[in-house]
Amino acid sequence: MSMHEIKERLDPYLAYVGPMVMILAILIFMGIVEPVRYFRLSNLNIILLDAALYLPMAMAMTFVITQRGIDLSIGSVAALTAIVTAFLIKSYGIPAPAAVVIALLMGALLGFINGMVITRFRVPDLIGTLAMDLVYRGFALVLAKGLVLARFPDLITDIGRGQIPGFLPIPVLIGIATIVIGYFLLTRTHFGRYTVAIGSNPEAAEMTGIAVDRHKVYAYMLMGAMAGLAGIMLTGKLNAIQATSAPYFNLHVIAAVVVGGTSLFGGRASILGSLAGVLLLALMINALVTLRIEFFWQSVASGVVIILSVAFYTWLQKKDRDGSKRLLDGLRSPDNLKLFKLVGTISAALVIMLALGFSLAGTPAASG
Amino acid sequence: MANDQTPLVKMRGISKRFGGVHALEGVDLDAYSGEVLAIVGDNGAGKSTLIKILTGVYQPTTGTMELGGKPLIMNSHADAIEQGIDAVYQTLAIADHLDPAANMFLGSELTKSFYGIRYLDNQRMRTEAERVLRERLGVHLRSMDVPTESLSGGQRQAVAIARAVYHEGLRLLVMDEPTAALGPQETARTLKLIETLRDQGLAVILISHSLDDVFAVSDRIHVMRRGRCGGVVRTSESNSTEVLGLIVGAEDAA
Repeated sequence: MSMHEIKERLDPYLAYVGPMVMILAILIFMGIVEPVRYFRLSNLNIILLDAALYLPMAMAMTFVITQRGIDLSIGSVAALTAIVTAFLIKSYGIPAPAAVVIALLMGALLGFINGMVITRFRVPDLIGTLAMDLVYRGFALVLAKGLVLARFPDLITDIGRGQIPGFLPIPVLIGIATIVIGYFLLTRTHFGRYTVAIGSNPEAAEMTGIAVDRHKVYAYMLMGAMAGLAGIMLTGKLNAIQATSAPYFNLHVIAAVVVGGTSLFGGRASILGSLAGVLLLALMINALVTLRIEFFWQSVASGVVIILSVAFYTWLQKKDRDGSKRLLDGLRSPDNLKLFKLVGTISAALVIMLALGFSLAGTPAASG
Repeated sequence: MANDQTPLVKMRGISKRFGGVHALEGVDLDAYSGEVLAIVGDNGAGKSTLIKILTGVYQPTTGTMELGGKPLIMNSHADAIEQGIDAVYQTLAIADHLDPAANMFLGSELTKSFYGIRYLDNQRMRTEAERVLRERLGVHLRSMDVPTESLSGGQRQAVAIARAVYHEGLRLLVMDEPTAALGPQETARTLKLIETLRDQGLAVILISHSLDDVFAVSDRIHVMRRGRCGGVVRTSESNSTEVLGLIVGAEDAA
């Protein structure tokens, strides 16, 4: 078997290589620096709980991005549905199971509105969902004012942080379930097949008789429903919710999906990659916390990971376009050398800054 | 050759106007089963309009069409497919990230059901795709799992054609500039595909700018010129000088 053939066989799995290598790097690094505190069972549990919250949304976002869309409104959708269901439970005495169903339906409705704005009014998805983000957040603030709603029925807290004794936390099981459903949707249903086709070649999809707009709306509805689910999970996890909750869901989820190898240019979807992406971000953020690096460095680190992975995938695609046979041929083109220098410089600078932050960070003290 | 039999498709006096523009005026066209009819002409001569009328994308302003002796009236491309008329476009209408089988069945996927839940039958689509490619087109792909973008131009063409010929009732296949973006080797393979389809009794209409390809594969050549039929010649009795003359309208001077 030639080198080329091996590479061709590996090609479909390359999407997982990026996040897996980074996950491995984090695990090895933490294994050397802070093995005891990082690999404690309770800490691993925290990591999984963090990841679980983002899994449903990452699954749905994979579909949205694969169709060449984007949804920036998910944080507000989560907050608004959580506020509304919280009011339904606390002020109107709606039973918790019904409230969960209502949250899913309401999330889907808000996603449907997003889809309509994008497909009917022809507002570009970036602008459309950004505007709807403001709208939904505004409604949440109008409804809740400055209130923090707290203390919810057991079902809600179980969804958010319940633990099956001797087994995994309930939210982790919910997250894994949504990933499995997402995998089935992507590979075994018309919706998944058409999602890839639309992102790959919208004109061809239209020509073969696919209802492109309708399937776009479906993707946004799925996204909304999963954001609604995340809203409930967040409510349960904190046992409290307010209108300003979940501010950076959108960027975190998009980052996880992109890191997982789903292409922002459409057509390439990877549900398992999104799972790996969510895990990577959760592991990384937890590592920063464990290392006692200031909270604010988290967003710097997230940014670095995104840049590195997008550069990696761009490089993979560049190699395809050149039609060269060997994996490393793509490295030698002048464009890529420039890109590598840029990425190298940025990462070096960030590593220095991280080291600086690490050395300067003393014991955390109350600031107020 | 088959001029004594009745044509599969008979277009008579086809005219098409877009506002004040006369795209087609009184065009007649016959296509026979088991024959490759090439349509050539300069840009804007009306080739595409004629083909779009034949495949149901446009409706003629005046004129009649017959398919197998029966009047043919189509309101959409879907109607044309229903009647056994399909087209493979230059752009191929292929989703590059999907594998060949998924592309072949795009828009008409095979499904199976498990306790009432319908889902895609990827296994059957793959074996069917492999069968159609092998039996109808004589093409064997090294792997059915790779995205279609990794295939060669000719193989991608084969996938697009396979989509059309999978429909059992297909009687007329229109190919719009199939060799425009291909190298010499891939062009030869595509022409071979066209011959294979003709030998299976399909009527094939080939639109091409390349007279070499036209003379290599066609049985008759239909020349379009300024929205009218500039002449129809039998390939074996003609040469490229004559056809070029018909295309540019120099036959009077000659």
